[in-house]
Amino acid sequence: MPTLTIDNREITVPEGTNVLEAARALDIVIPHFCYHEALGAVGACRLCAMRITDGKVSGIQMACMVRAKDGMIVSTLDPDAVELRRHVIEWLMTNHPHDCPVCDEGGECQLQEMTIAGGHGNRRYTGKKRTYANQDLGPYIAHEMNRCIACYRCVRTYRDYCGGTDFGVFGSRDRVYFGRVRDGQLESPFAGNLVDVCPTGVFTDKTFRFKSRAWDLQEAPSICPHCSLGCAVVPGARFRELQRIRAGISPEVNGFFICDRGRFAKGSTNDPARPRQPRIDGTPAAMDTAIETLRTRLAAVVARYGPQSVALLGSPHASLEAAVLLRDWAQSLGTTRLVYTAHAEQDRAARITGARLERHARSLNDIRGSDLVVMVGADPLAEGPLLALAARQAVRGGGQVAVIAPQPVELPCRASQLILPTEQLDAALHCLAGGAATTLDATARQQLEALREQLAGAQRPVLVGSSARLGGRGVNTLFDTAEALTTPERTIGVMMLLQGPNSYGGAMLAGRGPNFDMLLDGIEDGRIRALVCLESDPIGESRDPARTQELLGRLDLLAALDARPTATVARAAIFLPTRTGIEADGSYVSNEGRLQAFARVMEPGVPLRDTSPAGHPPREFFTETPGSEPWPAWRVFARLLGRSEDLAVLRREIADLDPRFAPLAGIRPEAPGSRLTTTPGLPHYQLDREARE
Amino acid sequence: MNLWRDIKGTLQAYAVTFGYLFRKPTTIQYPEEKRTPAPRYRARMVLTRDPDGRERCVACHLCSAACPVDCISMQAAEAPDGRRYAAWFRINFARCIFCGLCAEACPTLAIQMSPEYEICKRDPLSLVYEKEDLLIDGGGKDSDYDFYRHAGIGVANRRGGNADEYGPVDPGALVP
Ligand code: SF4
Ligand code: SF4
Ligand code: SF4
Ligand code: SF4
Ligand code: FES
Repeated sequence: MPTLTIDNREITVPEGTNVLEAARALDIVIPHFCYHEALGAVGACRLCAMRITDGKVSGIQMACMVRAKDGMIVSTLDPDAVELRRHVIEWLMTNHPHDCPVCDEGGECQLQEMTIAGGHGNRRYTGKKRTYANQDLGPYIAHEMNRCIACYRCVRTYRDYCGGTDFGVFGSRDRVYFGRVRDGQLESPFAGNLVDVCPTGVFTDKTFRFKSRAWDLQEAPSICPHCSLGCAVVPGARFRELQRIRAGISPEVNGFFICDRGRFAKGSTNDPARPRQPRIDGTPAAMDTAIETLRTRLAAVVARYGPQSVALLGSPHASLEAAVLLRDWAQSLGTTRLVYTAHAEQDRAARITGARLERHARSLNDIRGSDLVVMVGADPLAEGPLLALAARQAVRGGGQVAVIAPQPVELPCRASQLILPTEQLDAALHCLAGGAATTLDATARQQLEALREQLAGAQRPVLVGSSARLGGRGVNTLFDTAEALTTPERTIGVMMLLQGPNSYGGAMLAGRGPNFDMLLDGIEDGRIRALVCLESDPIGESRDPARTQELLGRLDLLAALDARPTATVARAAIFLPTRTGIEADGSYVSNEGRLQAFARVMEPGVPLRDTSPAGHPPREFFTETPGSEPWPAWRVFARLLGRSEDLAVLRREIADLDPRFAPLAGIRPEAPGSRLTTTPGLPHYQLDREARE
Repeated sequence: MNLWRDIKGTLQAYAVTFGYLFRKPTTIQYPEEKRTPAPRYRARMVLTRDPDGRERCVACHLCSAACPVDCISMQAAEAPDGRRYAAWFRINFARCIFCGLCAEACPTLAIQMSPEYEICKRDPLSLVYEKEDLLIDGGGKDSDYDFYRHAGIGVANRRGGNADEYGPVDPGALVP
């Protein structure tokens, strides 16, 4: 732990820290481009000059290239260093096209900031500028090479960090070119990170082209809803339109990067087909009326058939607050028929994960630092892309990745692949745990035994599974394997890819309850008469859509709360529009049991571009925003339960009543989130309780 | 003593007023008569055009960011030739304080203060001007400036075709 002095202030930093980082720790910000926390330093931009006095490395140095040593004396204000920085930024600007007014980076451009910070104001160079031709990089990323300052961040991100191969640096001298060999869409599923990482406007978000300036956007810390990993994102909206999404920074989860799905898939927020109007039997109604009608119609069903005739279906996509209030509502109605996933097998897998993860829980950051990642049946690029990126970092750090799957799994890193049909994955897991796997052929057995050896020797091993591929039984076996291989010195980590951003939260709440197939049986034999679906589309999401579709027709009452135009919404007698995560505060529990909050970015409403033919805001005054009817789902249940409709109060109540959710009380969306502890002694979901009630 | 001073003070004022009766008045009979303000006068803004007659404004949002009362709003759009322009551009003159910060911020010299000060209306909504109301035909002050002939992104001229540019480099060339 060296202690050094920077601008007459002392600081002690961990071994291996460079001087630039040490200065940043003291909140001394020195202009820099090529250094990036996730990418490290390469000393390419020559901007971070500081004077170091005393010691072996003295004189003007690139701070990012010098390791902090004990007793170092550093000055960032040294006149020579300041002058050098001013000259360097002036050189970097000689070829700049001076097109900030038409550049989408403008307003959040590091080059603009560093030019000002570096002290360069007046252009002295009068010679001609170098120019480049641009490339068409597909529908998501725009390319404007004339703005490049050759910091190499893009190649380091695309090739080194993300493992892409179709992009790189070409040319020589002052002609270096960052692009592809030929025009064409960037192939990496993480290509969008170029937009965040490039400090200038070379790479900008094409889907956001000329839409807004950064300073005009409404932004808030949020959580990506597209898979169960819970990456931090920062969505930006203007004129009631979700216009772009950029990566948030969450060291334990996604680090600095997100996948292209998280960045470019905008979900149902702006969907023109999104249902925004509450409906009762097909007729538009006010939200209050629709909620009261739901209450009275359910009361009628309960009065006639008893409370157990009502079933409630939650969703892996609904916020934790809504999910908890759904449970409270079920209790107040007196029904135990409460399910959180329409897919019974995924449900089972999620509940087992929730009950057994405990000490095996690993974050994406743990995977980045793992020395052996074994993926069983998981396809990260499809089910949780950032996991693939984390696995790549494990490999870059000297770790290994082994894949056992029914078909070769594409990964952005080296991995050994063992191809086994889905039905043999269970046997493979048994074999890894040391069991005799008689159903496997000899070569597979041999490979698995070798892998078992490797697992035994690994220090920070992680088993990765997938609820979709493994199902309840496979997930259970995976945990058995993890336990069998755990030694007193080290625990085998587990990361389970689940269905949605709050699958884990739903599983924690579902406990011993029935699954959706049991509800269907109940509808079939007439015990269940009413079904309320919270942001869930059983027709599209259950195991047997045809049967579900047929059975939903037999219900006395089908009610749906959703923000998507689903088949279930179309059939529901009572429909209540809900807000998306962009329009409401809430929280999700990610697949590692991490509780993270997201904040409202904007109020709901039909985007201006859809309501106004002229494009601009109307020339009359209205007090109502078109399409602003949707409520947060938790508020609907709070109203039904007669509880406070203030989220902070609700969160405190939830935390008080259920100690598992204690961190919810003071949760802040800008904080990293906290891993929930499943209370020991809470009943495991019984795997063999197949028998239908 | 004091009385004498008071009498003198009263009469002097009459004398001054009386003296002005025989001079040419400095006031004018507005609105029958009108003054011509100085060219630098700061009254309602206009949007000017470049020497080729195209809209100068590139919808960069700098004027709206500079405006202390937030009375400018716009939406940028892209023309097929890559030109960035304002799909709509609106100034609420009911709110504008004619400080001129927008014109000062404008990097393309598009928005300029004009001496047109007569814009009082009874209906505040009629003071909300759209782009069509703001655009004038000429270039206003510095009428020969064209942003796109200086910004090197190949809109007015082909890429690398501006006067201060070399043509695009060949990244394949490895000659030192
Ligand atoms: S394209 Fe951007 S990230 Fe890449 S070298 Fe140029 S300025 Fe740096
Ligand atoms: S990995 Fe998952 S959570 Fe992360 S950005 Fe991609 S889709 Fe969103
Ligand atoms: S003159 Fe001042 S107040 Fe009026 S639009 Fe320009 S910046 Fe805003
Ligand atoms: S500053 Fe000038 S170019 Fe930019 S939007 Fe305003 S008027 Fe248009
Ligand atoms: S940040 Fe040190 S040389 Fe670029």
